[in-house]
Amino acid sequence: MKECVIRRTAAKEPFMAKLEDSMIVCRCEEITKGEIRQAVYDGMMTMNEVKRYLRTGMGLCQGQSCSRKVRDIIAEEMSVPRETIEISSARNPIRPVPMSIYANDKACKRR
Amino acid sequence: MYRIENHPILHQFDKGQRVSFLLDGKEMEGFAGEPIAIALRNSGVLVHRYTAKRAEPRGIFCAIGRCNDCVMIVDGTPNVRTCVTPLQAGMNVETQYGIQSRGAAENND
Amino acid sequence: MIRYEVIVIGAGPAGLSAAIEAAAHGLQVLVFDENAKPGGQLFKQIHKFFGSKEHQARERGFRIGEKLLAEALGLGVKVILGAQVIGIFAHRQVTVMQGDHMEYYVGNSIIIATGATENVISFSGWTLPGVIGAGAAQTMMNIHGLRPGKKVLMVGSGNVGVVVGYQLIQAGCQIAAVIDGAPHIGGYGVHAAKIARMGVPFYLSHTILQAHGTKSVSGATIVEVDSFWQPVPGSEKNLDVDVICLAVGLSPLAELPRLAGCRMQDNPLKGGLVPVCNQYNETTVKDIYMAGDAAGIEEASSAMIQGRITGNAIAHQHGYIENTEFDQCHTKYQGALNQLRAGMFKRDSRKETGLRYTQEGYTLSKTLLTKGFLSTSELSVFPGIPTEVRRRQGVTPIIECTQNIPCNPCQDVCPKGCIKIGDKITNLPVMSASSCLGCGLCVASCPGQAIFLVDETYEDQFAAVTIPYELVPLPGEGSKGVACDRAGIPLGEAEVIHIRTTAYNDGTALLTMKVPIEWAMEARFFKPDHIGEGG
Repeated sequence: MKECVIRRTAAKEPFMAKLEDSMIVCRCEEITKGEIRQAVYDGMMTMNEVKRYLRTGMGLCQGQSCSRKVRDIIAEEMSVPRETIEISSARNPIRPVPMSIYANDKACKRR
Repeated sequence: MYRIENHPILHQFDKGQRVSFLLDGKEMEGFAGEPIAIALRNSGVLVHRYTAKRAEPRGIFCAIGRCNDCVMIVDGTPNVRTCVTPLQAGMNVETQYGIQSRGAAENND
Repeated sequence: MIRYEVIVIGAGPAGLSAAIEAAAHGLQVLVFDENAKPGGQLFKQIHKFFGSKEHQARERGFRIGEKLLAEALGLGVKVILGAQVIGIFAHRQVTVMQGDHMEYYVGNSIIIATGATENVISFSGWTLPGVIGAGAAQTMMNIHGLRPGKKVLMVGSGNVGVVVGYQLIQAGCQIAAVIDGAPHIGGYGVHAAKIARMGVPFYLSHTILQAHGTKSVSGATIVEVDSFWQPVPGSEKNLDVDVICLAVGLSPLAELPRLAGCRMQDNPLKGGLVPVCNQYNETTVKDIYMAGDAAGIEEASSAMIQGRITGNAIAHQHGYIENTEFDQCHTKYQGALNQLRAGMFKRDSRKETGLRYTQEGYTLSKTLLTKGFLSTSELSVFPGIPTEVRRRQGVTPIIECTQNIPCNPCQDVCPKGCIKIGDKITNLPVMSASSCLGCGLCVASCPGQAIFLVDETYEDQFAAVTIPYELVPLPGEGSKGVACDRAGIPLGEAEVIHIRTTAYNDGTALLTMKVPIEWAMEARFFKPDHIGEGG
């Protein structure tokens, strides 16, 4: 991991637009492949970083459709195997929960 | 028109009562208890919402409540997953624009 | 806070099997499922399963689902539906959203059996309504009785792609094509052959370039790719479809073990990020166990055994069974699992070795791997194909099973012992004795629908060919239609001379057609006159 970060930050080629850049990758937040590629060139090298930068995987489906794809794109741009790209943290709740449920929660009110 | 009347393995499908509901004010039909999305698909309605940023049409994608692409405004509540929400008689279903109904979205402009 | 001895998350094949195993040993078990109906994907699986008797082979998935559910409820397992587990916290506290409120539970042991999620590929227009997952197609047609559209492009030729393709045809849709970026078909050849003989074209080394349409899919452009996955200019084809169905693999749904602090591994052979488990499916966090696809992508049959292994281990852990019984059960389940993991499609070898030879040393059919059907010239070497001399003696099964798949119902059902597979269930079936009764049990039992009966002595110059038939309407005896070959190409007129349907054969009709004798080894599908163009 360390090795590829060094390689990535050291040899930075100019960003080249690609034909499929306008294609949506994150369906929920409508983030395109080009935006994700640009994020890597802006210095985002993990899925968490790209997520905080662009909101990929932060929409209603919580990254269920796009996370593999986002990881592949980051790996491709950095020319490293996909397994070396750290994946996003998992967080509770893992399904969308209406705020009213928390607001009315017995366990929360007791405190 | 997309209903399977006679399936070679499953034969008939148990359906609830035939009910009517509203889609953007227009009367539609479906079976009570089936997902709203199924009733809509049968009537040829594929577009459930237009996205917030690019205003692109979306509809059923995963059909099991995971992808949240099929969300619509149901009885005033936005972001309702129509593929897992059972249809009830008299429901008011609206196409979602961003996270709003069309009227509300137009008032913003 | 409500305490249970065992909490199972997910009421699919793995979760229900684990619950049954634990409850059968006397444990108090609670199962959560976020869906309105239990059974996971089983109720969408309307095809017959592979395997042997102990894997419930030749049973349809939804029937296995019905049995599992009845068994679980009979043992006192409590199943709560519409319950979304949103997190697992310290000391095995499970937080569940049930309707409009949260509930809090504690499990002495927790089994995570959350299954898998479908992978996607992105291409221009892939967000258009009409582009759906293969699972969505199955849900729409097999649960809700609705065709997802009229004409479908299937993207992906793995088992999901070819099985769902067949189910779409059963539901009354047409399949414009099955495409795959790989140079050969990823799923079982027999599954591909079912739809190839109905006229479905396979385009291997092809990918989808674009979905057309403004408000929904009105067509698709596919393109050939070279060995570097680059589009070959000029190879674009436009297909007139209203549905594009994505069947490009599954990933384990393993957020819950991650949240619970289980050590994870990124394992491409298991489909992605999965918890590290011991042989009893226990994670690195004590008392948190896994079962099924959430711990690594396999088939439903394997998931059920994995559930048994987990349930058995928990019963032992809690002191409900003695060491010897535990060991015996574990060994039995592990053996059954190993059987399913054998053969040329096993998860850890297919990518490295590729598909070239059977374990017996036969060369695999290239046309089967690239076009989905066996060519007659390749067929004769396989051990399930009787010789010409034998065929002239009367009715005989023709077993067009040419890949090492763990499956043996044909051997089990033959009352005369004509078909031999042996103990190693991945062996190719061998036609042995010549005492065939023509009962057709093998034809209807083969989950791959790869067995046919041929009687070249039927009439002078005419043969009787019996095929498995699972479409509606069922043609009547005496009706005329067109006999098609394995590629779905019409050979000419055929007459239905016999239709057999029995409860035992569970929806697989045996259709016997009379064809000119020279088509006896070619005619493998019957297209009734009223059906238009195939596929």
